[in-house]
Amino acid sequence: MKDLLNRFKSLKLVRIMGFNRVVLIGVIIVLCLIFQVLSAVLNHGNVFLTYARFTSAMNYGYFIGFLALGVTFVIATGGIDFSVGPVMFCAALISGYCFNNYGFPMWVSLIMCPLIGMVFGTVGGFFVSYLHLPSFITSLALMQIAKGVGSIFTKTQNVSWPGSSDPGGWYRSLSNLDITVGGQRVNIPTGLIILIVVAILCSIVLNKTKAGRYMICLGANREAVRLSGVDTRRWEMLAYVICGTLAGFAAIFYVGCYTTVQPVKGDTFNNEAIAACVMGGTSMAGGLASILGTVIGSFIIAIMQEGILSMGFNIAFQYSLTALILLGAVIADVMSRRRRN
Amino acid sequence: MGEVILTMKGIDKSFPGVHALDHVDFEVRSGEVHALMGENGAGKSTLMKVLTGIYTKDAGTITFEGKEVEFHNPREAQQAGIVIVHQELNMMGHLTVAQNIFIGREPRRGLFINDSAMNDEAKKLFAQLGIEINPKETMSSLTVAKQQMCEIAKAISHDAKVIIFDEPTAALTDAEIDQLFVIIRDLRAKGYGIVYISHRMDEIKKITDRVSVMRDGQYIGTLVTEECTKEEIIDMMVGRVIYEEPKTESHCPPDAPVVLKVEHLNAGRMVQDVSFELHRGEILGFAGLVGAGRTETARALFGADPKQSGDIWINGKKVSINSPKDAVEAGISYLSEDRKRFGIVLKKSITENSTLATLKNFTRGMFINKPKEAEVTQKYVDALKTKTPGIDQLVMNLSGGNQQKVVIAKWLVNDSQIMIFDEPTRGIDVGAKQEIYELMTRLAASGKAIIMISSELAEILRMSDRIIVMCEGRKTGEFDIAEATQEKIMSAATRDIDMQNRKPVQEGEAS
Repeated sequence: MKDLLNRFKSLKLVRIMGFNRVVLIGVIIVLCLIFQVLSAVLNHGNVFLTYARFTSAMNYGYFIGFLALGVTFVIATGGIDFSVGPVMFCAALISGYCFNNYGFPMWVSLIMCPLIGMVFGTVGGFFVSYLHLPSFITSLALMQIAKGVGSIFTKTQNVSWPGSSDPGGWYRSLSNLDITVGGQRVNIPTGLIILIVVAILCSIVLNKTKAGRYMICLGANREAVRLSGVDTRRWEMLAYVICGTLAGFAAIFYVGCYTTVQPVKGDTFNNEAIAACVMGGTSMAGGLASILGTVIGSFIIAIMQEGILSMGFNIAFQYSLTALILLGAVIADVMSRRRRN
Repeated sequence: MGEVILTMKGIDKSFPGVHALDHVDFEVRSGEVHALMGENGAGKSTLMKVLTGIYTKDAGTITFEGKEVEFHNPREAQQAGIVIVHQELNMMGHLTVAQNIFIGREPRRGLFINDSAMNDEAKKLFAQLGIEINPKETMSSLTVAKQQMCEIAKAISHDAKVIIFDEPTAALTDAEIDQLFVIIRDLRAKGYGIVYISHRMDEIKKITDRVSVMRDGQYIGTLVTEECTKEEIIDMMVGRVIYEEPKTESHCPPDAPVVLKVEHLNAGRMVQDVSFELHRGEILGFAGLVGAGRTETARALFGADPKQSGDIWINGKKVSINSPKDAVEAGISYLSEDRKRFGIVLKKSITENSTLATLKNFTRGMFINKPKEAEVTQKYVDALKTKTPGIDQLVMNLSGGNQQKVVIAKWLVNDSQIMIFDEPTRGIDVGAKQEIYELMTRLAASGKAIIMISSELAEILRMSDRIIVMCEGRKTGEFDIAEATQEKIMSAATRDIDMQNRKPVQEGEAS
């Protein structure tokens, strides 16, 4: 058995992806099968594995994926960010409101999203790295500010981005492109393609550039990096800027799939994004990060959400379950660290 | 001096790789102040930890008031009547004086704490000691000296028979020390047995009745303070055995240019008015006891901690160093005494650690030039003979000596002209130690200027071309290697110094 495990671990593909990522893909498959069976049993013969459920899970996975990618940078530096969900909503609210009420062109509204996120990231990063506030508190405060600013700007109204056939509705093609081939409507998951491209960029930044090297090393031992003559504050702040920007970017895909944004919401996505990261092998202690793991983790979260709905439970179950997954992932992280010591 | 109340006989204690206590004997009489002396690492603290149940002894007996005892934790020792007044005070600053003294055994009235009874009790204790402290004051508002008196009051309230003072005067001013001595003499007159651990020779002569000396985990002997000289005590502390051949003359040419000049460096209580020069190709040893301010001096010089004042010249040019970044750019490197915390990133590879200080030399645009990085890392792994299966090995999997080589490699890649080695051989086995020594000698010969901080006298005498001795944040001696002896260094390190030059320590300064 052990021999078999070792042989599996030494396969080339497994080595490249990392053992724990391969296990996560296994988790996705097992989850799908479990939901297939449980949906049928619990919800009057409902079928889980359908194309509609697949696209629905994908849609959920896109914006969670972008949020989680951003959070990965912050966790890699040894920090935490509880503001990404509301920041995403704040960006979607403000830029959507500007499109609807001030006649901003769609492309301007779309560019505004990551910029608004970047402002939040920059402020949070400054507080954490230059003023040495705990990231936990800073991000909780920013979360409330994001909620407040978003709803003040929109006078506490929902903001509905245009539908596909409305003027400016082309932005939805960034998430899902519907084309007609031989009379058949085919959905092309453009959101997935963009997520993968951004993930590859993130991976390059984290693993191949000076910025990424410093961010990860300072997460592992900040003082040693500082005493090597590195301005740690600058690089730590950069992680928060990237995180905020990606949270704003995620807004484009949230509205692309769901169009309507509510004020004073979004905090449930924080836990999901953090859970996706930690499940993917990014260590809460800092110093270890896996972009591929984060992407896979995001889709596990998305499939859980679909599965729960498919079994006929309501969304409240999803919240509790994500929290349990987060706890489980952190326990696994802590235990593996203890074993290594 | 009364009868013997505490006897420790044949106490033996080993840690992995260290024989910390080698059949040590020690006794305390009631009504005496008994000094326990020795260099750092001689085993004084270990002996006291065995006595108070923090460590379990491997062999030997402890007899207290005629009965053989064995304490399993400090609480048991406290209840029996043996109490330590620690060097670092264990006080809760936001609680009141009385609350601190009676923590865990507060007088109660029903479910509630009886505050007035507690304050009265505390007042009685202070009256016994002849000191005036308001029991209702918060602990953090008191001076260090007063806080210490509260610890003493706490000790007495435990019905202590033996009180151990662990370097009680380290943070006190002269006036406060005198006051403390009044209290200690009073306690002695009342029949308490007092163990007094200190490095300050002048205090030993002033306050103690007998002196027991330890060296390298062994009990060397006990002298009656009145009948012995300081020199005798120092001789016992350093011993006559020299393990390694010391340098006899400086290897640094007399006309070597000054690379680094530091003038009037001040940084808190631990660095006061330190000035020195460092020459090209020289190994400058910084000797002194733990806590003398040597590491603090190095860190202030390196910009790791803020400094209040001081001028630094490098190659005759005045530089301003406010962060480690400035220092590295000025060509200074610092190899910390605490490698794992400050020197290396344990979870990362040898390559990542080797280029940490110089990553900008290994980039093409935004990207890290990994082949070049690997090539340079491999070069230094070979040059320093770092034992590792490969350069991608995580540093946490290497031995202490090899980790140290990775840190050295990091600074060699940076080509720093000035290298500060802080306890370079701490936690390193004998073989690797030898290699590090040879490496430092080679580096100096190649023109690097080296500062070596070491608490091992043998190491100082073996490596240094010139020696600076520090004590309590001040430079207390400077010797050429040709004239330096263990006795001279030890004497300067134990504050047996010209007392006119000493200003009283300012209260409230950052420590």
